[in-house]
Order: sequence, then C-alpha cells, then structure tokens
Amino acid sequence: MTTRHRPGLAETLETCRPVPPAKPNILKTLLALQSALSHVPTSAIPQIAQVLGVTDAQVAGVLSYYSDLRTQSPGRHLIRVCMGESCTANHGGRVLRAIQDHVRVAAGGTTPDARFTVEQMSCAGNCAVSPTVMIDEDLCGRVTPSEVPSLLERYR
Amino acid sequence: MKTTRCYLANDTSSRAAGAGRLADAWSDRPEIQLIRTSSRGAFFLEPMVERDVPNGREAWFNVLPNDLPRIVGGVGGTPIAEIPFLQQQARFTFANFGITEPLALDEYQTRGGLKGLAAAQSLSPEAIVEALRISRLRGRGGAAFPVWKKWQAAQQTGSELKYVVANADEGDAGTYCDRMIMEGDPFRLIEGMMICARAIGATRGYLYCRYEYPAAARTMRFAIQKAREADLLDCDDYPFDLEVVTGAGSYVCGEETALLESLEGRRGVVLAKPPYPAESGLYGKPTIVSNVLTFATIPNILANGGAWHASLGTEGSRGTMALQIGGRVKQPGLVEVPFGLTLHDVLDRFGGGMAPGSRFKAVQVGGPLGSLFPESQLDIPICYDAFAEVGAILGHGGIVVYDDETDMVELARHFMAFTADESCGKCTPCRIGSVRGREILERIQAGEGTAESLDLLKDLGETMKATSLCALGGRAPYPVLTAIEHFPEEFKKGLTH
Ligand SMILES: Cc1cc2nc3c(=O)[nH]c(=O)nc-3n(C[C@H](O)[C@H](O)[C@H](O)COP(=O)(O)O)c2cc1C
Ligand code: SF4
Ligand code: FES
Repeated sequence: MTTRHRPGLAETLETCRPVPPAKPNILKTLLALQSALSHVPTSAIPQIAQVLGVTDAQVAGVLSYYSDLRTQSPGRHLIRVCMGESCTANHGGRVLRAIQDHVRVAAGGTTPDARFTVEQMSCAGNCAVSPTVMIDEDLCGRVTPSEVPSLLERYR
Repeated sequence: MKTTRCYLANDTSSRAAGAGRLADAWSDRPEIQLIRTSSRGAFFLEPMVERDVPNGREAWFNVLPNDLPRIVGGVGGTPIAEIPFLQQQARFTFANFGITEPLALDEYQTRGGLKGLAAAQSLSPEAIVEALRISRLRGRGGAAFPVWKKWQAAQQTGSELKYVVANADEGDAGTYCDRMIMEGDPFRLIEGMMICARAIGATRGYLYCRYEYPAAARTMRFAIQKAREADLLDCDDYPFDLEVVTGAGSYVCGEETALLESLEGRRGVVLAKPPYPAESGLYGKPTIVSNVLTFATIPNILANGGAWHASLGTEGSRGTMALQIGGRVKQPGLVEVPFGLTLHDVLDRFGGGMAPGSRFKAVQVGGPLGSLFPESQLDIPICYDAFAEVGAILGHGGIVVYDDETDMVELARHFMAFTADESCGKCTPCRIGSVRGREILERIQAGEGTAESLDLLKDLGETMKATSLCALGGRAPYPVLTAIEHFPEEFKKGLTH
C-alpha cells in the first residue's frame, strides 16, 4: 500500500472555513472531516463550531441527525448489508445472519481485533443484483450465505 | 493479431454482478479491446459482453472469464435485437444505455445530445415553459406534480439569484434509475438542468447526491468538469455553474424542503409549505428542485417538441416511465415503457415470472411508502390516475416482488421501524405514531397481540395519513394497512383473543 499524506483535523477544518459571502456549511464540513479522519470525534465539536462561526449545539445537532456521520472510528473494513426491500425479498436477512455468525459480532458492532464493523444499510441502488453487501467501497451482488467466508477472506 | 472491440458495462450493478472481475481477468489479453459503457439495464444478464456485428451488436450473457475464446471466435452470441426484455421497451430517456461510454461527450452529441439545449436556446423562457406545458410531463420523483407549473412559478418570481437543484437522493428502496442516469448518461442530466436554468433564469445548480452513490457522484463531477472545459456550461454568455453535493444517509432529505435545509448544511427537517421552493427555496431564493429522471427526460422534449411527448402514454400520464423491477423475479432490471401497461403485463413480459423455486405472494410499487398488491389485483394499469384511485402511488417507479416465504407481519414491522428511524421528528403523528405502530407489530410477533391491536393499528394509520406534514408519515401506513388487508390471517395468527 502507498502511504498518502492524510490531512488532520485542523488542516481539513481550515479548508472549510467560510469565505464571505459564502455561508458556513456544517454538513459539508462534517463530511469532509469524516472523509479525512474516518469519523468525526465529538471532542472536535467546539473547534468545528469556532471555525464555522456557529454554535456547538448546531454542530452537535447536525452530527447526530445524519446516520452516515459516525462519531467513532469503524473497523478496518466496513461491511454494510442492505436491508432494503429488494434485498429483503431476496432473503438478504440470511446473508446478514451468515455474516454476523462468521465474524461473531452483531450488526452495529466492531470485531475485537477491529478488522470488521458490521452495519445494516437501506437500499444501495443495486436492487436488480440483490442481495447486496457493501464492503468499504466495493459492492457485491447476488450474495449467498454460503459464500460469505470466502468473500470476507479478501479483506484482512 | 486482430483485436476485437468488446463492450462491457461499468456501472455499479454490473460491477457487483462481476463485470469488474472480467475486466481484471482480461486486462492483459491482446485479442480484445474492452470499451466500458453504461448498462442496458437488463441486469439479470450482467455481466454481459457485446461486440459489433454488421447490423448492430451481439451479446454474451452472464459471462465468466473463460468465455473469452467463444466471444472472440463469435460463437454463441445473441443479437441485441432478439432480446425480448429490451425489444419490448420504448427507450427514449434510456436510448444510449449499453451503447455509449458515459463520459464521451462527442458520442453523446453524435447520438442527438445537446439538441434539446440548442432548441431551448432558440426559444424565449416563456416558450420553453410552454413546450413543457404541452408535453404534460409530471415530476418523476414521487409527487407527480406538473413540471411546467413549478417552472412558471420560478420564472415569474423576480430575483437576482435563482437555483436549479437535481434531487439525486433516490431513497426509495427498489429504485435505481437515477443512479443509472448519473453513472451512465451524465450529460443528459446536465442538459436537462441547463434547460431549466435557461427557462427560469438560474445561474447556479446543485446536484444533491446520496452518500450511498459514490460512483454516481464521481461520474457527475467528471462530466461537469468536461462540460465546463468544453464551454458548455456558460452557453450564450449566460453563466451557469453546477456542483455535486452529497447527503449523509437520511431518507427524509429526499423531500424537497428537507433537501434544501440539508444543502445549506443543517439538519434535514421538513418545512411547511407554502412558501414553495419555486418561490422561496435555497437561501430564500426561487429554486427548482426536480428529480434526476425528470431532468433527464427534458432534453428529448425540447428536441422533439412537447406534442411528441404528450403523444405517448395515457390521458393523465404522458410519456414513458422508467420502471425498476426488483425482488424475487427472474429478470430484474430497468424497463422504460409508455404508461398504460398493466402491472401484470410488466411482471410477466419483463420480470419473466418468479425466480426459480419461489412463488408469488405480493408486489409493492412505489418504494417504502407504496402499497402492496396481491395476485388478484395485478390488472391495474401503470399510470398515476389508476393508482390514485385505489390509494396507491407509482412513486419513483420501484417494483419489488415478494415470494411466499415472506412474513407479512415482519414486513409490516420493517416498514414501521423504517419510518420511526427516518422520521424527521417535526410532527407527532409520524414521530410517535411510527414507534407505536412498530411496538404493536412487535407485540403481535411475540404472540401478545389482542383483537384490539389490529384496530389500534388501523386507527393509528388513519391518524398518520390525515395529520402528517409530509408523505413520510402520511404514506407510511399504506404498506402496513395493505398487508393487513390482503393477508389478514397472518396478522390474526399472532393474536391471543
Ligand atoms: C419522505 C420523502 C422522500 C422523498 N424522496 C425523494 C427522493 O429520494 N428523490 C426525489 O426525486 N424526490 C423525493 N421526494 C419528492 C420530493 O419532495 C419532490 O417532490 C421531488 O424531488 C420533486 O421533483 P419532481 O417534480 O421531478 O418529482 C420525497 C418526498 C418525501 C415526502
Ligand atoms: S411526517 Fe414525519 S418526516 Fe414528514 S415532517 Fe412530519 S415528522 Fe417529519
Ligand atoms: S434494496 Fe438492497 S440494493 Fe436496493
């Protein structure tokens, strides 16, 4: 793997500092921070609020509202199992159970070795090739419970 | 050595079906040149590889890496013209799909792209709106409101600044046509937005794309950059700029006022209307929020005339609809047809019947807020009026088929839980009602329901329908109540007395 310079909190925040007449955008800022840091620590709220010129409560409100914003670092690999209607109709629930059994953690949790975080998601827009499992940015379709071990093997 | 040109789709679903693995496996094979196109939407055949033949293309289905010799040798291909799933469609908005490279602007133009924009440039803003009035196009995002009325309101509202916003939140589970457009024919969406900008006098546009669609956001950013470099955005000295913004996983942010709140960076909470966004939207300025499919339909209307569009479909539903078939069918995929076919026809002709080994139980049309239909009600024509008459919606065109292993009580609970999770919290019937609804269903599942539970659920549903501010609370009861209506025995099984 190549090592890239990963900008830190202060550096990323600086790129989000509003330049008048542009108004501060809390959501955009939090998404930029998450993309740089993998999550948005709640301890950073005062600093974010200060740079954007908004209140701590406003930042906290946005951070807690959106389900894709996370306040804790996920495992090295994020497994998201689609629970949308097309995947459910194609028995995606069985795939979720197979994944939970295999990595021995319930949806919402992270394995003790921090290798995997397992989550449920709603529709990934892959309904015609369902059931869908998203691992990091890879989308896997027509997943069967029996192929779960070999599928996860690729993610160390 | 002779090189054979082969075409392979590069959209998210084709890759999820294995197109990426093929491309990797063949990356160093000198006998082929692989062109990565959009997908035709016949996803049950993906990964599908095509090559040119004298009068069109031939295709190989569900291809594996070791099929390459057959393809290069031209053995066992099927002419595209002989694939019934594709041949029975009327492809207008999706005419380029499977054929072109998404980011090839020259190809887009060769195949008729930018003609609608050129036509719009020769018309006054009023005449553009008039063309849309004649076309009788209704919004494809769910509410089916006449497009021209919104545009006219924005056009007639005086303001220095106006905005065009493409709603690419595509939150309805079972829908994927917006994703296909953004990944597969991005310039069509840009063209549609630019026509709108011209009609209302907007100088700035945003595309609000859901977080779950990283590939779509990436393709759109590339396409916008290409359009900018080709001086397409500032047409006729008329400055226009476009930016892609991503959401962060909230279903209700697909609702237009919540979307605009989110675009300004706040919590995506629904606002009461009026004022309508067309008069006072983003940062208080006149704003058109329209669905991606709606915008993508507009270039053809300007190029071919409003009357052409109005000649397709049924009385109240003109044009074509992009139906997205999913769930337990043999042939899931995208179907563009004029309005008017029955649900049965669509499932039969395109869906191809049930997936092997499963039996039909119910079909849901219109996403998580849509009604369930049992086998006895499949003769309903696919158009806004027929659906409205029975209290159903077409929504964004999602069709999900459930098989006989589906537990209807669990499905109903899933819908109530979904609403409880996604409610923006602004009004009580939705915020509290959905939680109560979920709890009642959980009690029935645990065998603790009573005869009153179902009455309570129905009452709750009627209250939510009547008093919710937006369609999330207002329509959430429909899948639940239609499940009870058509499969009462399953709900009664869980009642103690
Ligand atoms: C809860 C809720 C979710 C919605 N989600 C979407 C969506 O994901 N995409 C969309 O285009 N419209 C969605 N809408 C409809 C929008 O409010 C709006 O009517 C639509 O974007 C207008 O575009 P159109 O006229 O092209 O249909 C949603 C509405 C509600 C109430
Ligand atoms: S119905 Fe639900 S989602 Fe819609 S405004 Fe009310 S609380 Fe928000
Ligand atoms: S329902 Fe799972 S991808 Fe759409």
